[in-house]
Amino acid sequence: MKLVKKGAEADLYQTNWKNSKAILKIRKVKKYRNPLLDSKIRKQRTIKESQMLSLVKSYGIPAPLVYFVNLKKTSITMQEIPGTPVHDLPESKIIELSKDIGKLVGTLHKNGIMHGDLTTSNFILFQKTVFVIDFGLSQISIKPEDHAVDLRLIKEILNSAYAKIMLSSWKNFQSGYKSIVGHAYYAKITKLVSDIESRGRYAQIV
Amino acid sequence: MLGLGIESTAHTFSCAIIEKTGKKGKILSDVRKIYRPDEGEGIHPREASRHHIENSSLVLSDCLGEANVSIKDLDIVSYAAGPGLGPCLRVGAVVARSLSSFYKIPIYPVNHAIGHIELGKLLTGATNPLVLLVSGGHTMLLAFLNKQWRVFGETLDITLGQLLDQFGRSIGFASPCGKNIEELANTSSNYVALPYSVKGNDVSFSGLLSATKSVASKSKVDACYSLQETAFAMISEAVERALSFTRKKELMIVGGVAANKRLSEMLKDVCKRHGCKFSIVPLQYAGDCGSQICWTGLLESQVKQGVTLKDTFVTQSWRLDSVKVHY
Repeated sequence: MKLVKKGAEADLYQTNWKNSKAILKIRKVKKYRNPLLDSKIRKQRTIKESQMLSLVKSYGIPAPLVYFVNLKKTSITMQEIPGTPVHDLPESKIIELSKDIGKLVGTLHKNGIMHGDLTTSNFILFQKTVFVIDFGLSQISIKPEDHAVDLRLIKEILNSAYAKIMLSSWKNFQSGYKSIVGHAYYAKITKLVSDIESRGRYAQIV
Repeated sequence: MLGLGIESTAHTFSCAIIEKTGKKGKILSDVRKIYRPDEGEGIHPREASRHHIENSSLVLSDCLGEANVSIKDLDIVSYAAGPGLGPCLRVGAVVARSLSSFYKIPIYPVNHAIGHIELGKLLTGATNPLVLLVSGGHTMLLAFLNKQWRVFGETLDITLGQLLDQFGRSIGFASPCGKNIEELANTSSNYVALPYSVKGNDVSFSGLLSATKSVASKSKVDACYSLQETAFAMISEAVERALSFTRKKELMIVGGVAANKRLSEMLKDVCKRHGCKFSIVPLQYAGDCGSQICWTGLLESQVKQGVTLKDTFVTQSWRLDSVKVHY
């Protein structure tokens, strides 16, 4: 098996599943973590991710198909999406795709799902379609506060990693998001995002 | 070039003198007096500022004496202008202003958090690191991009230092409590499950704090051990996420909590997994000190004139990601 990526919490290998190419995602033991905590985290996230990957498909979210889950090895075998992570695309393309990403996040929230790790590494562009991956930190939640946490994270990432395109990209994201959740909910979430930011350390309080 | 740096954001009143030659800096002296609250209590801003006022002239003269420098030799004076406790910040600013106006020395307000990072870079030789800043005031993951330090993860509520201090005080220690907690934690290996809250690259500690307090009513040592294991694993995971996102090949840890051995052991393991260089600020300079202010002031003096006295501000809230870095 070929190691494709050493991610933050799991290793990704290229493998086969019934004659088609697949990705094996293994959450390996982390030695630095207390073993009890470690196995709890790895198990919970493997279950959560595999359930959520299947669930979101029913809401029309493009996501990899789950082929097999091995809870003992805390691994998931899933469909390979042979595209490019949005993270690696040129900035002009990221601005353009921000609207699609906003729509995807809006659809997740509308259906009561918080992704939990909205970074540009977790969206893959494949043949004009943006796929969402990595649901390890996701949660079933209709709480507006949780949805606001999602938005704050992607805002932070845009602000930090894409400072030059932040304004246009965030604007596109917001308009995509708003088109799905509607104006009233969008206004509510934006207010909550500011609340979270104002709770941050040394935030400017007006 | 000779600089004097004055730090007084929180517990510590410190003066330091650094000699800068080209890109190199040599710390000639770094003298500190640290305010200690009573057991079970935290820092009282008024009492701390009183402590700083009482100790300021002694610290300054010791610092000059140790470096064998007279005030007239100084090329610049820098002071920590924030973030920190208002009454404490004012003490350092007043000392710096007095020196500057009486001896006509250019004066530089410095961001305390940037100071931690710049001193860390000077002492570890790190060039392009992902920075983990963990102290009483900050818990942040940062990388430098486009003339600014950018945040790639941070705490959504209290900092790691506050978590340790607030818990420590609840079991009777005086802040800063990190060292006492570490010592107690080393005597246990019984892990009690506690809330683990990582949100993308961010962490949240407030739930963990309440839960640990209730564990402490049964066993203080287990609480200390489990608190460290949980909080540090959360930080380590956030670091892994930020490393994998930014693709940095170097991690530098700065700030007071960098002194914790268990934390650095965990982060070393993280770096090993990501094939990443690990550097940590030397213990002596992990906590607040004049050197961090002095060195940053010296760096700023490369590209900026000092400010006029009426512009020597202090501000309690001053996020480091709002500071433009031109040197």
